Amino acid sequence: MNSKKKMIISQETMDVDFVRKVEALSDTSVRRCFQCGKCSAGCPMATFMEHPPNRVVRLLQLGQWQRILAGRSIWYCASCETCSTRCPNKVHLASIMDALRKLSWDAEGPSKESYVQLANKLFLQNIRTYGRQYEMRLAAVFNVKSGQFLKDMMLGPKLFAKGKLKMFHSKNKNLAEIEKIFSRIEDMRKKGEAL
Amino acid sequence: MSDLKYAYYPGCSLHASAGEYDLSTRELFKKLDIGLTEIPDWFCCGATPAHNVDELLSLSLCAKNLELADAVEGDVAVACASCFSRLKFTQHILEENPAKRKQVEQAIDAPVKLDGKVKHLLEILAKDLGLEKLAASVNKPLAGLKVACYYGCLLTRPTDVPNLDCPEAPTIMERVIEAAGAETVAWSHRLECCGANFTLSRPGVVIQLTNAILDSAKAAGADCIMVGCPLCHGNLDIRQKEIEGVYQTSYNLPVFYLTQLVGLSVGLGADKLGLDAMIVNPTPLLKEKQLL
Repeated sequence: MNSKKKMIISQETMDVDFVRKVEALSDTSVRRCFQCGKCSAGCPMATFMEHPPNRVVRLLQLGQWQRILAGRSIWYCASCETCSTRCPNKVHLASIMDALRKLSWDAEGPSKESYVQLANKLFLQNIRTYGRQYEMRLAAVFNVKSGQFLKDMMLGPKLFAKGKLKMFHSKNKNLAEIEKIFSRIEDMRKKGEAL
Repeated sequence: MSDLKYAYYPGCSLHASAGEYDLSTRELFKKLDIGLTEIPDWFCCGATPAHNVDELLSLSLCAKNLELADAVEGDVAVACASCFSRLKFTQHILEENPAKRKQVEQAIDAPVKLDGKVKHLLEILAKDLGLEKLAASVNKPLAGLKVACYYGCLLTRPTDVPNLDCPEAPTIMERVIEAAGAETVAWSHRLECCGANFTLSRPGVVIQLTNAILDSAKAAGADCIMVGCPLCHGNLDIRQKEIEGVYQTSYNLPVFYLTQLVGLSVGLGADKLGLDAMIVNPTPLLKEKQLL
């Protein structure tokens, strides 16, 4: 067996604090999982992941979170909620995935998946700047920032002709209030009042 | 006017790529005599990207939208499955978890309002208006049209939150469209994920997942697909031609919003349903079935 794949588990390698954080954020128990594998069996994205959902939970139970954050599995979860629906022991796995992504996002973790993170970032920036999503802007900026200038170029003119892409857009009138929500949350985190 | 009145939360897509969903919703509700007032200054619910990386932000954006909705008379009517899911999740989490509720109240600097009911359009048609009344309004039954009802993920999953219908074997879409006179087909992929917002970041994923859905609908003998979500619609309709190219096949399955098909059955014309905005042209099918 390849020695690189061996996992050494000891008191020192297990990070239980991290697991507690995940449980607090997701409001669900990581420990309840008994590895039946039903989540991975129904997961539409499992084929794209190096660790399928049940293994993500197992790694978490063993405190091996660095392995999860270093991979692309959490970013390839589509949040379809199939795992949470089918878990026989009420582990809300979709919420665990949310918590893991948040902790990876905060740590600016060394994930292999950057396109999904870039898309998320631009999406949130759009809310802060305009109040609503404007798909054309989102797609155009994504293509420029990800260096894929020609991605979906063939779709553009067709969508435009069908009135599905708008060139101009307005900003919400209550933009100041939206900005306050973002800045209050940032303040709360600085003061340690929120995770 | 009937007693039914709603505060309308269209969501971002309905003001852009899903304009025909917005148009057909407004026209259908007008025709059925259901009041619909758009919530002034509503803003993005954060959808999947917000809860994916920042649950507190997601909950706060939705809580603020619920506060805006509270100023408009009636329950909240939501067209998009994702907005629907986020608003319902927010109500559920804030009711169950006092610590999170406290944080959200601090973020929006106001007490959260959780009394208002959030309803998807399907729920309004099937339960509030009722299938009998809906059937009574039909003057152009969709006879002979075989519809594959596609639920996708967020209308019914997970178990305890959206509570629209059974998460594993829902029937609400079939019941609505059968009331409009259509036939429905039994098919395998009606609850499978289309890849949703990976359409921006990883379109290859969407092409693979959506192909399986189109393939399943075609194999079941459907003439068309019906959806209640602008993201599912985008993947099934806008990317259909591309998928046909990748998999060297032909589906030619028009993808309708539920309001377009129900609208057709109550006598609304093509111009009021935005049929010309659909990428896969539905006109030949509708002419063949003598519905246009």
